[in-house]
Amino acid sequence: MNKLLTSIYKEGILLIRDIEGVVIMFVMPLILVIVVALLQQKAFTGISEDKIPVVIVDFDNDALSSSLIEGIAGSDMFAVTTVQGSDSLMLDNAKRNVADGVFQIGIYIPQNTTNIIKSRAVSMVQQQIPGAIQSNVNDINIQGKIHLFFDPVIKQSFRGIAKSTLMQFASSVETRIIFDAYSKFIDALTNQTSELEFPEKPAIEFSEELVSEFTAGIVPNAVQHNVPAWILFGMFLICIPIAGNIIKERGDGCLARLKTIPVNYLQIMIGKVVVFVGICLIQALLMILVGIFIMPLLGLPQLQVGGNIMALLIVSVASGFAASGFGILIGSMATTHIQASAFGAVSTVIFAAIGGAWIPVIIMPAVMQKISAISPMNWGIHGYYEVFLRSANALEVLPDVSKLMVFATVCITGSLFFRKYGKSL
Amino acid sequence: MNKPVVVDIQNLTKIYAGRHEAAVKNLDLQICEGEFYGLLGPNGAGKTTTISVISSLLKPSNGNIVIHGYNLNDNLNKIKQLIGVVSQEIALYNKMTAFENLYYFGRLYGIDKGYLKKRIDFLLDRLGLLKYKNDKILSFSGGMKRRINLLAGLLHEPSILILDEPVVGVDVHSRNVIREFLKEVNADNTTIIYTSHIMEDAEKLCSRLSILDYGEIVEQGSPHALITKHSDCSSLEEVFLKLTGQNLRD
Repeated sequence: MNKLLTSIYKEGILLIRDIEGVVIMFVMPLILVIVVALLQQKAFTGISEDKIPVVIVDFDNDALSSSLIEGIAGSDMFAVTTVQGSDSLMLDNAKRNVADGVFQIGIYIPQNTTNIIKSRAVSMVQQQIPGAIQSNVNDINIQGKIHLFFDPVIKQSFRGIAKSTLMQFASSVETRIIFDAYSKFIDALTNQTSELEFPEKPAIEFSEELVSEFTAGIVPNAVQHNVPAWILFGMFLICIPIAGNIIKERGDGCLARLKTIPVNYLQIMIGKVVVFVGICLIQALLMILVGIFIMPLLGLPQLQVGGNIMALLIVSVASGFAASGFGILIGSMATTHIQASAFGAVSTVIFAAIGGAWIPVIIMPAVMQKISAISPMNWGIHGYYEVFLRSANALEVLPDVSKLMVFATVCITGSLFFRKYGKSL
Repeated sequence: MNKPVVVDIQNLTKIYAGRHEAAVKNLDLQICEGEFYGLLGPNGAGKTTTISVISSLLKPSNGNIVIHGYNLNDNLNKIKQLIGVVSQEIALYNKMTAFENLYYFGRLYGIDKGYLKKRIDFLLDRLGLLKYKNDKILSFSGGMKRRINLLAGLLHEPSILILDEPVVGVDVHSRNVIREFLKEVNADNTTIIYTSHIMEDAEKLCSRLSILDYGEIVEQGSPHALITKHSDCSSLEEVFLKLTGQNLRD
């Protein structure tokens, strides 16, 4: 135990003396998590949570246009700006604004569009009950046109969604007008004023629910995903300084000296692991604090850490062990700093890519979802998800924690193997 | 040789992986308690390989090594406690102070904290380094680093001190201090096994020595006995050149 404490003491001193290195280890992942969370915010919120700027050029100025404007403005999807009048310059101006990206969609409702719908409704009643309404109009196929113009950068799928939403509004206005025509006819027939009213709400409503394994009510967003993802990435990047530390010790002859001292090599390595796990924990804490306090200041959602601090600590410690163990393995295998840096950086990037640090596993192709299960970063991220999104307790994170600890043990055992049989010393 | 044999090497052979030639061939060597024993030889003669095997840094391909009655294969930790090893490299942590380095290695030997602190002060004082105790190694001169490197192998008061080129690359003053210090350590009955290219030092320090070439002992005895035996030579260096030849060994 004394020898282990001595080893921790030495590693602690070496780390403190390399203050620039420590700052880089803490600051770089913090910058990374903020930048990536900001970049991915849009992807996570999606089009349904971000209002689309729409300009409506209303030359109709009647029931259809007012209903349409009211309906569109009342939806959560669009932010509406209305231009009313009959000057064609207004239309040109609106088109230019859409082309310049001020608005993403332009809607032009020509004059008399409401009248066309009304005429069509009357024609329908006339056709069904001839002579019911006094009218000269008798063309059931009469059609009006609402013109849409889109910002060219908008995706096809996005246009489709916007178009179908607008069609839905137009169709409901048309239905209402037809309903009114029939209503008037019945009033005339019965010589009464009917109290029939077109229902405000549709007969069928859709209820939405996010169904995933994480159903504690906290919606996964850029922050909930990126904080654990980059905690793990930052932790695994520590493999480079750990490996460098071992290679330097070997190059300086210190590891050879330690081999002549009656001390177990495992104790020396555990000393390193303990110190670097401490670094990983501080790193995780800083990232979480950034998620809670800094990200909301940047317009991002606040990180919800769930309610189980013990489980959070266990996942963090296990992730730190896995990352440090990996660093020790690289340090034992590599013979030069260049080898260690290249292998450490590339393997961390691969672990991150397949582990779901950049792209959440749930939106990966099926094959990649299966492959991601072999990445220790995936186990760590999943463990954090469990705690953050499901408020999982210590027992519930045990499967992920066990995998991380087994990975750490395999790495450290591998390093002992290389120490004994490898060519690195 | 009235004193007991503390290092008994029998039939030691070491062949490095991927090499056909043995670095050390069937070497037999006995070193007695309190001896200052020199291993001399040109580059590649097998000096460092021999002491690396004794120091447990390398595994022998063949042969048997017994130190203080303990077989190296079976009693590694016991033997490690009995020997002190000072390598050619400055095996120290540059960003740690002299005290921190020595304290770290001393604690790994299991030396009590209080005693270790006193011992570090004593040893630093002996080599004129006490006032630099709290300075980082990276601020030290080559000679100062060599002296700290030497002290790191002496903290646990080993009965056998193994030195691989302990004065290589140091200034004359540091070399002299180290030489005098080693004489004192040896006078305290510490057996010293020493490799060097500096024949003058070997002649002055060693009670007995072996000259190795191509992994084999070509001559063995006290410096005086060797010079006497080779009557055409007036110094150990001349004996050395006579036995190992004039050709360059790179």
